[in-house]
Amino acid sequence: MTLPSLTLPIEYDLTGQTAIVASAGGAETPLLAAALAEAGAQIFAVARHPDATAAILDAVANVTGRPAPVPSAPAYPGYAGRWDTPDGAAAVLSAFDAAHARADILVNDTRSFFAKPAPEITAAEWDELHARNVRATFMLSQAVGARMLAQQYGRIVNVISNLAERGLHNCSAFSATQAAVLSLTRSLAVEWGRHEIRVNAIGAGWTTADDIPLETQRSELLVRYTPLRRKGTPHDIAALLVFLASPHCDYPTGQPTYIDGGANAHP
Amino acid sequence: MLENLHLNGKVVVITGGGTGLGLEMVRALARSGASLAIAGRRPGPIADARDEAIAAGSDAIAIPTDVASSSDANALIDAAVAHFGKVDVLINNAAMVAENVLKPIWDITDDEWQTAMTINLSGAFYCARAAAKPMADAGKGKIINVASGFGLRGGRDIYMYCTSKGGVINLTRVLSFSLARYGITANSIVPGFIPTIDPTAEINRTLPQTGDFLPSGKLGRPEELGPIAVFLASDASDYMTGEMFILDGGGLAAGIAPTGHAPIAPLEP
Repeated sequence: MTLPSLTLPIEYDLTGQTAIVASAGGAETPLLAAALAEAGAQIFAVARHPDATAAILDAVANVTGRPAPVPSAPAYPGYAGRWDTPDGAAAVLSAFDAAHARADILVNDTRSFFAKPAPEITAAEWDELHARNVRATFMLSQAVGARMLAQQYGRIVNVISNLAERGLHNCSAFSATQAAVLSLTRSLAVEWGRHEIRVNAIGAGWTTADDIPLETQRSELLVRYTPLRRKGTPHDIAALLVFLASPHCDYPTGQPTYIDGGANAHP
Repeated sequence: MLENLHLNGKVVVITGGGTGLGLEMVRALARSGASLAIAGRRPGPIADARDEAIAAGSDAIAIPTDVASSSDANALIDAAVAHFGKVDVLINNAAMVAENVLKPIWDITDDEWQTAMTINLSGAFYCARAAAKPMADAGKGKIINVASGFGLRGGRDIYMYCTSKGGVINLTRVLSFSLARYGITANSIVPGFIPTIDPTAEINRTLPQTGDFLPSGKLGRPEELGPIAVFLASDASDYMTGEMFILDGGGLAAGIAPTGHAPIAPLEP
C-alpha cells in the first residue's frame, strides 16, 4: 500500500475532490486513477468492459487500503458499458449519482490504439475508433460539463497521444482521433473558461504500463528514436495529471503538455 | 505514484530570483525542500529572497549576476557548485521585460536590439552552457527556461521580446535533444499575461490590464508558476523534455481577440 506523500505540495492536494476517470481500457489508466487517489481524490471509474472498470477500482483500493467495491454493491463507484452516445453518457452519470454527489474532475483517457495501412482501413473501423476516442470524450465532457457549468467549477484533463501532433505509418485513423481530442480541449477551454472550468491535455508518448528492462525496450526502433531512450509509463505523467485536476490549476487552460521523452521536440 | 514530487536534496540555481515570477518560484521551491542559489543583477532583492528561503528551511545563497555576461554566468554556476557540491536544476528566468521593448521597427537601435537579445536569449544560453558540464558529469540535470506566450505569437512593436522568447523556446528543444544522452532534460514554462512589473512601465500600454479578453476571464498570478517549477525541477518530470508548460488563461488556445465571438450556425441540409 502506498501512503500519500507527506511532502506533497499543497497545489497537488485533491482531498475532497471527486474524479470521473474514463478509460479506453488497458493497464495505464488504473495507475493514473491511483495517482489521483494518492492525492486524495475519490474515483468513479468508467470503461467499456467490467474488468477494466474493476481494474481501475482495484488500483484505487491499493492506494486507500480499503477493499475494492464489488459491482453488485449499492453505490458502486464504477460504470461498465459504452458512453459514446447521449444515452450512454447519461447512464454514466446516473451510476455516478448513486455513488457521489458532485463531479469536480473528469479525466478522459481515451487512447484506444489502432494501426493499419491507410488503404485497408474500413469505414466501420474508422467510425468505431472515432466513436471510442472522440465521440465518447465529447459525450462525457458534454454531460459532465453541463454539471460543471451549473456548479461553476470543473477540471477536465484529456490524456492523448503525441500523435496528435505528428504523422506515423499506419496511424492515420488513430492520429486523427488524438488531434480531434486536442482540438476539443482548446475549444471547450475557451467556451467554458468564464465558468471556472479548465480543460487541458497531457500528451503521452510511446508508453507501457509494464516494467520492461531498458535493454529489451531498446531493441525497438521507436525507443531508440525517443531522445530519452525508453518508453513512458503512467508514472511519468501522474504528477502533472494531479496538478491539472486540482483547484490550484487556474491559469493554465486549453493547452496540451507533452511528456514523451523528447519525441515531439526533435526532427 | 507521486513519491518523486519533492525537491529534498536538490540544488536549484535560479536567475532573476529576487523579484516577480522568480521570487514566487523561489518560495515554492524552498517549500518543497530545494537548496537554492538565487541570482539577480541587484544584490538587495536576491538577499531578501535568500533570507526568505532560509527562513523557510532552505539552504540558500544569493549571487549577484548579470546573465548578459558569460563570465558572470560561469561564476554563478561555479559558486553554486562550490557551495553545494552540485547543480541539479537551472531555471533561466532572468529577462528584460519592461525596458525599451515597445518601439516601431525604425526606432530600434542596434544597441537596443543587441542588449535585449543578449539578456533574454544569450543569458539563457550562457547559463545553460555553464550548468550543462556539471550536470553531464553527474549524468543528470534539468534546465528550465521561462519563455513567454510572446515567444509563440507576435506582439505589435514588441520585436526583441517576442524574438528572444521564441528563441528561448527553440533553444529548449535543441538542449533537450542534444543533452538527452547526458541525462539532462530541458523544458520551458510559457506564461501568458501575469502582471509583475511596475504598472507605469511603457510595455503596459500593449498589455491587457484585465482578463476581459482572455477565455479564463482573468490575468494570471505570479504564484501560479510555483507548482509548475516544483514539478519540472523534481524527478516526477523525468520523462518530460523539449516541451512547454503553458499557463495563459486560454489565450493561445483561442487568440485573445475572438473571445466573445460565439457564432451559431445550423448544419446545411
